[in-house]
Amino acid sequence: MSEIKKILKGCLAGDRRDQELLYRRHAAKLYAVCLQYSGNDEEARDILQEGFIKIFANLDNYKHEGSFEGWMRRITVNTALEKFRSRHNLYRVDDIDTIQEQDSEPENQDYAGLEANDLLGIIRELPTKYRMVFNLYAIEGYSHKEISKMVNISEGTSKSNLSRARVILQRRVGSYTGIKKKVANE
Amino acid sequence: MNEKGANIDLLFRNGLKDYEVLPPAGVWEGIHPVIKIKSKPVILLRVAAAITVLVSVSLLTFKWSRDISNLPSADMMAFNIPESSPLISVPVNNYQYLPVRKSDQVKNTPHVIIEKDISVPQEIESISTPEQVTYVKETKSLSIENGETNTGTFLTPSISTGVNQTKIKYSDLYFTDNTTTKPKNRWSIAAMASPTYLSSFNSGSDGLSKELTASEQSLISYSGGVAFSYKISKRFIIQSGLYYSSLGQKVDGINSFSGFQPYGTITKGDHNFEVLTTNGTVYTNNPDVFLSANGADRIVTAYTNDVFDPKKASLQPVSTSLDQNFKYLEFPVVLKYKLIDKTIGINLIGGLSYNLLVSNSVSTTVDGNKYSIGKTQGLNPLTLSSSLGMGMEYNLSGKLSLNLEPTFRYYLNPFSVSTGSFIHPYSFGIFSGVSYKF
Repeated sequence: MSEIKKILKGCLAGDRRDQELLYRRHAAKLYAVCLQYSGNDEEARDILQEGFIKIFANLDNYKHEGSFEGWMRRITVNTALEKFRSRHNLYRVDDIDTIQEQDSEPENQDYAGLEANDLLGIIRELPTKYRMVFNLYAIEGYSHKEISKMVNISEGTSKSNLSRARVILQRRVGSYTGIKKKVANE
Repeated sequence: MNEKGANIDLLFRNGLKDYEVLPPAGVWEGIHPVIKIKSKPVILLRVAAAITVLVSVSLLTFKWSRDISNLPSADMMAFNIPESSPLISVPVNNYQYLPVRKSDQVKNTPHVIIEKDISVPQEIESISTPEQVTYVKETKSLSIENGETNTGTFLTPSISTGVNQTKIKYSDLYFTDNTTTKPKNRWSIAAMASPTYLSSFNSGSDGLSKELTASEQSLISYSGGVAFSYKISKRFIIQSGLYYSSLGQKVDGINSFSGFQPYGTITKGDHNFEVLTTNGTVYTNNPDVFLSANGADRIVTAYTNDVFDPKKASLQPVSTSLDQNFKYLEFPVVLKYKLIDKTIGINLIGGLSYNLLVSNSVSTTVDGNKYSIGKTQGLNPLTLSSSLGMGMEYNLSGKLSLNLEPTFRYYLNPFSVSTGSFIHPYSFGIFSGVSYKF
C-alpha cells in the first residue's frame, strides 16, 4: 500500500496524526493556490481552512482515480469560487467585439528573473473579476464555457475578463522585469 | 495578441505550478476540531469492532480455561474423605462433638445479621505524544527559453510535469518528515472498575472434588481502584496502583435453617458446622443457623440427619445455597505493550499482582437480604496472581482517554491453604475507566 493510501486510510479512520500529516504535506501547495485566488492573506487563510474541512469531509468520495493532489486542488479552487460568488459580482460585458485591447505589451519581452513569488504578487494585484477568470482559464485550464458556469457569467464576459487580465498582466510583468533588470544592472 | 496572451498564460501557469507558501500558524487548529466531529461515526464503528474482537478473544480464553478444569487427573483431591469413615468419627482438628439436645419447643424466629452491599471504586492508564511534523519550502526561479506556446485545453496543472519547453528549476522535495517524538506526559493516573467473574478448576479426580466444583458457581463480583502508569518507552508502559476487589462464589446444595440456637450447643471451638468448598472450609459463626447438605459428605458436624432433623424441630428454611465472599487489596505490577498507538490504541497487558486478604464472609441471601453464616477458614492471607489482557484506549484529548481492558487473571496459589495445589482459581473482568496524563 502506498504511503498516501495509508495516510488516507488513517484519515478515514479518524486518526488524528494522519489527518495532520495530510495537512502538513499539502497545506503549503494549497495555500499558494488560495493566495492566487484571494486578494488578501486573511481571505486566503479562510479558503485554506474551509477547503481542508471539505477535503476531510469528502475523503470517502475520492476514488483514487487521478491525482489526489489534483483532487484536493479542485476542492480548494471551488471553495475559493464559492467565497468569490458570495462576495463579488462580475461585471457583464455583452459584446466582447467592442473591447479594444491596448496592445501595449513590449515586444520580445524577456521574463527572465521572474520568480514564483513575483508572479503571485502580480496576479494578486489584478481586480478580483479578472483574477478569477485568468486563474481558471490560464492556470487551471478550464474553458470559457466551464468558467461561465462556475462563476455565473456569460462566456463573453469570461473572454472579456481574460483579455483584460492578460493586458494588465503583460504590462505589469514588463514593468516588473524592467525594474528588476535595472536593479540588477545597478 | 493570442500568441502573446498564451505566452503570458504559460508564464503564470508554469511559474505557479509547484509554488508553495507556508500557511500561517493556527490554520490546522481551526480545521482539526471540525474534522474530528465528522469522523466520529467511523471511530465509533472501529470502537465497536475492537470491543467485539476483544470480548470474543476473552470468551474463548475463558472457555478454554473451563475445558481444562474437566480434564481427568490421577492426583488426589485434598478433601477426599473415605466413605468408610463416618464424618462424626473423623472429627476435623480434633474437635469434640456433642449429641443434639432434644426439645419439643421450637423457635421460628430467624436470628440473622444483614450485611451491607459492596461499593465499587475505579482505576486508570496512559497516552502517547503527538508527532511534530515540519517541512521545508524551496523557492524557484524560472525562465522561458523560447516563445512556443501551448494553446490547447489545459489539464489541471498540478498533476502534470513540464510538457512544454519551459525549464523550471524546482525541487520536488518540499516535505521532510522530521518526525520527532518528545517524551512528555510520561505519567498517567487512571481510575478503573470492572465486574469480575470468579471460577476455578481442579486437578483432582475424586468424586468429592468433582461434586464440589460442580456445585459452585461464580458470583458477579467487582474490582476497582487507582493505577499509576509510567511510560518507559514509546511502546512500553509500567503500571502499578491499588485495587480493591470483591470476589465470590455461590455454593449450591447447602440448606440453611434458622432457629437452631435453642438446640445447638457450640462446643466445637466456635462453630457448629463446617462446609467443604473448593476455596476453603466454611465455619459457621452464627449459632442460630443449621446447615444440611443434599448429598456428599461436605458438611462436617455433630448434628447429622440421624441425630437431628430440622423438620421435626420446625426450623425455618432460609436458603439452599451459600455465598462465599473474599475481599482483597491488590497491588499490581503490570507491563503494557502498545500494539497500536493511535487515536484508538491497543495494548497487550501482562503482569503480577499481590493480593492481600482484608476480609471474608459467608452468607446466604433471601429476598435480597444477606444473612451471615460464618467465615471461610484457612485462607491464604497473601496470594499471587498473574494477569493477561488486552487494553483498548481511546484518546479523547491529548491528556484524557477512555480505557477498556478485558483481563484474565490466574491465581498462582490457591485462596485456601487447606485445598493444597489442586484448586486453581481464576477470574475474568472487563475493566473500564478514564486515565489522565501529566
